[in-house]
Amino acid sequence: MSLISSSALRRTVQPTLAAVLLTSVSAMAVIAQDQPVTGGTLVYLEQQAHTNLYPPAGGFYPNSGILNQITDKLTWQNPETLQNEPWLAASWEINTDATEYTFKLRPGVTFSDGTPLDAAAVAKNFDVFGLGNKELGYPVAEAINNYDHSEVIDPQTVKFVFKAPAPGFLQATSVIGSGIVAPSVLEQPYAELGDATKIIGSGAFVVDSEVLGQSLNLKVREDYAWGPANIEHQGRAYLDAIQYIVTPEDSVRIGALLAGQADVIRQIQAYDEGQVEAQSYSVLSAPTRGVNNNAVFRPDNPLVADIKVRQALTAATNSAEIVQTIFSSHYPQATSVIASTAAGYVDLSDKLVFDLEKAKALLDEAGWVPGADGVREKDGVKLELSVYESLPQPQSRATFQLLSQQWAQVGVKLNVLAGDAGSAAVDRLDPLKTPVVSAMVGRADPDVIKSNFYPSNRDALLQKGGLNPNATFEDAKLNDLLLAIASEPDNAKRLELAGEAQVYILDQAYVIPIFEEPQVFAAAPYVHDVSFDAVARPSFYNTWLSPR
Amino acid sequence: MSNLDLFTTRRPELGLSKLRQLDVTLVLSWAVVAIAVAWAVAPGLFTPHSGTVGIAGNQLRAPDATHWFGTDEIGRDVLARIIYGAINSLSGAVVAVVVGFIGGTSLGLIAGSVGGRLDTIIMRIVDVLLSVPGLLFQLSLIIILGFGTVNVAIAVGTTTVAGFARLMRSEVIRVRRADYVEAAFGSGGRFGAVLWRHVLPNSLGTVIAFAALQFGSAILAISTLGFLGYGAPPPTPEWGLLIAEGRNYLTTAWWMTTFPGVIVILIVLATNRISQSLRRTP
Repeated sequence: MSLISSSALRRTVQPTLAAVLLTSVSAMAVIAQDQPVTGGTLVYLEQQAHTNLYPPAGGFYPNSGILNQITDKLTWQNPETLQNEPWLAASWEINTDATEYTFKLRPGVTFSDGTPLDAAAVAKNFDVFGLGNKELGYPVAEAINNYDHSEVIDPQTVKFVFKAPAPGFLQATSVIGSGIVAPSVLEQPYAELGDATKIIGSGAFVVDSEVLGQSLNLKVREDYAWGPANIEHQGRAYLDAIQYIVTPEDSVRIGALLAGQADVIRQIQAYDEGQVEAQSYSVLSAPTRGVNNNAVFRPDNPLVADIKVRQALTAATNSAEIVQTIFSSHYPQATSVIASTAAGYVDLSDKLVFDLEKAKALLDEAGWVPGADGVREKDGVKLELSVYESLPQPQSRATFQLLSQQWAQVGVKLNVLAGDAGSAAVDRLDPLKTPVVSAMVGRADPDVIKSNFYPSNRDALLQKGGLNPNATFEDAKLNDLLLAIASEPDNAKRLELAGEAQVYILDQAYVIPIFEEPQVFAAAPYVHDVSFDAVARPSFYNTWLSPR
Repeated sequence: MSNLDLFTTRRPELGLSKLRQLDVTLVLSWAVVAIAVAWAVAPGLFTPHSGTVGIAGNQLRAPDATHWFGTDEIGRDVLARIIYGAINSLSGAVVAVVVGFIGGTSLGLIAGSVGGRLDTIIMRIVDVLLSVPGLLFQLSLIIILGFGTVNVAIAVGTTTVAGFARLMRSEVIRVRRADYVEAAFGSGGRFGAVLWRHVLPNSLGTVIAFAALQFGSAILAISTLGFLGYGAPPPTPEWGLLIAEGRNYLTTAWWMTTFPGVIVILIVLATNRISQSLRRTP
């Protein structure tokens, strides 16, 4: 029902702005095709419901799809050059060892509740993002390292001071996790922020209403006048409203789009791309520029504690076959821990060669011999591993099933578990139950490697001091390297360290890179100018709908 | 169908009794179940393809002469997956029915024959079991027991214990008051012996028909849990799992979900038909 009413709404294009823009009737016919039209509601089908909308939790795709519309950031990372350009901050200064950042804010910016977005508000945001708040339950943002404190110099100037060099901080001010919200938002307990209506930002759209787990409505902010300085479009967004509808089934999303009930859908699978393009709909793909879609080992599990086993499984993995069988040209085969479009990337494809004989030899060396049923055994224990499919990742189940098929050729069994989100979340923290997991993070800065592996961040390997309280595994060398990346002020040295980390991680065979994860969207032909930030999060600020 | 059956039973003189004996649907039903059992016992005889290993480059092929039911997203033959999946789904259903049958009939037999306070206690427990929605109960059990085919089968079986117990009890109570049972007691038969010799065999008929019916619903229940991802872990083929895996490809590869779905429907219908005929035979 709501779908029908909104598509009717969409057709009521506001004629007023068009009249202002166009001086003669004859010009209208020519320009109407490519001049943005104001008005209309965009129906956006999302695969999963959003979780907590605390900005640093914005890495989760559904969260970022919302936060990117309702919050602004200090700087804007140009997706083409990866340079940081002014947004809420008009200018900034960084001291030579990257321990002090001073931002001059753009004047006249307000939150949607009318309160000013000033230095005090920005300071409050980064104090919470950088230090967390144990009382209210706010975790530390993974993008911000070595944060010490903030200083409000005047109402438009704020200074951030770091305990150690924080070269990634400028880029961190542009990431999806650094959207600025009203200080009152951060005074509520963390758990309250699952309710989108409580998130008050300064973005081009405002949350109008939501039905938890089902739908969310955004409406345009008429007085918005502070888009990123270097983009052409200024002023309010063209759309009047955006309607998010959670539609978990891939086939339903694609069907709704092709039937004209939706305008943009997130996560279209490779096998559906053909039918979308065949009907002159567009497939929009953007790279996430971070840690690739990797199969990550948990060295605390005795089965994969031996480096030889991990190296064998790396050699037994044919990622080219996975990409060719399951994915499309939008999904490049991985050649390192991080994507080839990421900052600091080093091509390590020579460490990722598919070689069954080498895999078998390594497993033999490690003492795993083929048993009666073809599965290798050692001291009566079978080399049988389990992995949970990862719902946010494209075709995770098919990927792991194909991986399972490949590993079976060298006598290793891989079970692919689905189950419910609750069991998966608990078991994922237990290396004995999940010796392998799927992991990826998008961020166009070398800090992303630390985000993925450091124990107090995402802790992909489940190290001591991280998410698993019983962990015994710890790789001090890796952790030192990760810390060094996050605190090396010299950019060239920093990229070098990032390269070293990639080499080290693959030498230890902690992960098996599979593919460079893009975000793939599909849009109806009358939807124009959907833009993406540097890590493939959609922004509908520039988006407009031509009359159908 | 049942109308026809009623008709033929009431008027055997019309010469339709032969048709009744050679009921086409019943024969077909037995054939369907026999084929499914054969798949489970010797899958290799029915397909040259592997149930777990696909051929890259062969993915998402529409049904053709080589792959009768098409191939899935990683190039596995769908028919082969169904055939190799039979063992998981059928053995699961057998375990579920055996668990329900043994558990339920013993409870019902004890409750019906001993009577009194024990009867009340057992039947109240059964009432509680019946009041919990089946799927919820099964999911709770699986979370406790862990994932896997056997655990799913046990969970499904446990849910049916209550139904078996109720039915058995009512049958036992009916038989218990029959003259020949009283006579057996009267002529000095011991309680257990009479129960075993007279009460149990004479009250089992309906329960066996119920078991056949449960077999069909157990396949459905196991497929449901497999669909939700609690059953055999992929890449092991299991019917519910096959349906679940194919559903995202419905617009591009209808065969991945449709064929496993049709097979499950056919087998469940067949077992229902067989159960119906068992109930009618005295």
